[in-house]
Amino acid sequence: MRWKAVAHFTEGTSHQHQGVVCQDYADYRVFDDDVVVGAVADGAGSAKYAEIGSKLAVERTLKFLSRISDHLQKRKKTWQHYSPPLSDEEAGKLFGKTVNYVQKKLSKEAVSMDCSIKDFACTLLVFIATPHWIAAMQIGDGFIVVHPENSEEYQLLFQPDKGEFANETAFITSPNAVGEMHIKVIAEKPKFICASTDGLEKVAIRFSDWQPFSRFFEPFEEYLRETDDPETEDQYLKDFLNSERLNQRTDDDKTLLLCLWE
Amino acid sequence: MPVGLPEFVENPENRCPVILLLDTSGSMLGQPIEELNGGLAAFKQDVLKDTQASLCVEVAIVAFGPVRLAQDFVTIDNFTPPKLEANGVTPMGEAIEFALNLLEKRKQTYKDNGVLYYRPWVFLITDGVPTDHWQSAAQRVREAEAQRRLLFFGVGVQGANINLLKQIAPPERPPVMLNGLDFRDLFVWLSTSMKRVSTSKIGEAIALPPIGWGQISS
Repeated sequence: MRWKAVAHFTEGTSHQHQGVVCQDYADYRVFDDDVVVGAVADGAGSAKYAEIGSKLAVERTLKFLSRISDHLQKRKKTWQHYSPPLSDEEAGKLFGKTVNYVQKKLSKEAVSMDCSIKDFACTLLVFIATPHWIAAMQIGDGFIVVHPENSEEYQLLFQPDKGEFANETAFITSPNAVGEMHIKVIAEKPKFICASTDGLEKVAIRFSDWQPFSRFFEPFEEYLRETDDPETEDQYLKDFLNSERLNQRTDDDKTLLLCLWE
Repeated sequence: MPVGLPEFVENPENRCPVILLLDTSGSMLGQPIEELNGGLAAFKQDVLKDTQASLCVEVAIVAFGPVRLAQDFVTIDNFTPPKLEANGVTPMGEAIEFALNLLEKRKQTYKDNGVLYYRPWVFLITDGVPTDHWQSAAQRVREAEAQRRLLFFGVGVQGANINLLKQIAPPERPPVMLNGLDFRDLFVWLSTSMKRVSTSKIGEAIALPPIGWGQISS
């Protein structure tokens, strides 16, 4: 068995009209065949170098977590068949260190570009998944949805963090980013994972009870099942993200990071 | 096997609540109250020109005195500008408290129904001096502002005590003295601001249009 994964992001129509580049970014890495780490970020519209910030935040996150597999191996007791789920405390520590590392790298970049770290303001969502559990964090809005193997239901890990109002959110560049970070560990087998920025929130999540809309997610899960190599057979995803049908519903940048354990 | 297309969930529009807190005391009698009513009509007409704003902006009107709910929260397409009449005293403190309570109730309704909302606006327009205890209301306004729970705007019409308004409005947004009775321009400005809010990207601060209808007292 293995992780099948794919990530795509595309600029929203409002940005196309203004000639602004896509400020979303997403990527993932698979380690030792059975650990997948994914990250998505949405650069703040008001930040000067939002597109650089989101790309850097994702890349540095993946770099920092590149030895996660070794780390998990070390934690595993010899009598255990697989690496046990991180405790909430361990997850908090690990993601806290990740955020500090990313902030340090962003500060460094700010110095070399002679700008403020605020010019890189972006949200950040990260998950670490093994075939047996998933640990995730979120700063700002956007969503991570999981379909556990033994469940009918899709599960939203965090309610989008918008502060009280629709036009406010938290960013990785905030001095209190670690304090604004939400953490969750689910000790169930995560069959399907979808991470995204706020551009798709209103078509994918029902706001009245914060439930993922299963008819939005099912086709993506099926697409991964039917696709041998999603990295090269990605037309379905590209077509969807650029579809007129979707653009009528959102003018924001759109991102999908999908994983399936199969 | 071909894969079907993702379906979309229907969510309600984001809301942008505005409370107009209008002084209808006796001193507004005559031309001032007529111009104010004209301004309300202009507000509706101007917001309606913008599809997104007319779906999103919700207005309520609290008139004083006596303090009464002249219009509960309503989207602009369902808003019939009232013909306000001027009489009575100026219970400004009570009116502000009433408006803040109304706003909290509305926010709870939004939350109960999964409606996302922008930071609410409270727009106080007065030509007089409070005839009641206003200090605790001012305190509530400033606390709410400091916690970014609302945006408070104070507008003085000729005869208003601007120094007193300054003690109610937050220091970073000092009250504005209306030019003559230019309510129309004031409300078109409010409408323009609402259009900007309703199309703003989530996570973004908006720049308000320049105030051409009054003088900022600093």
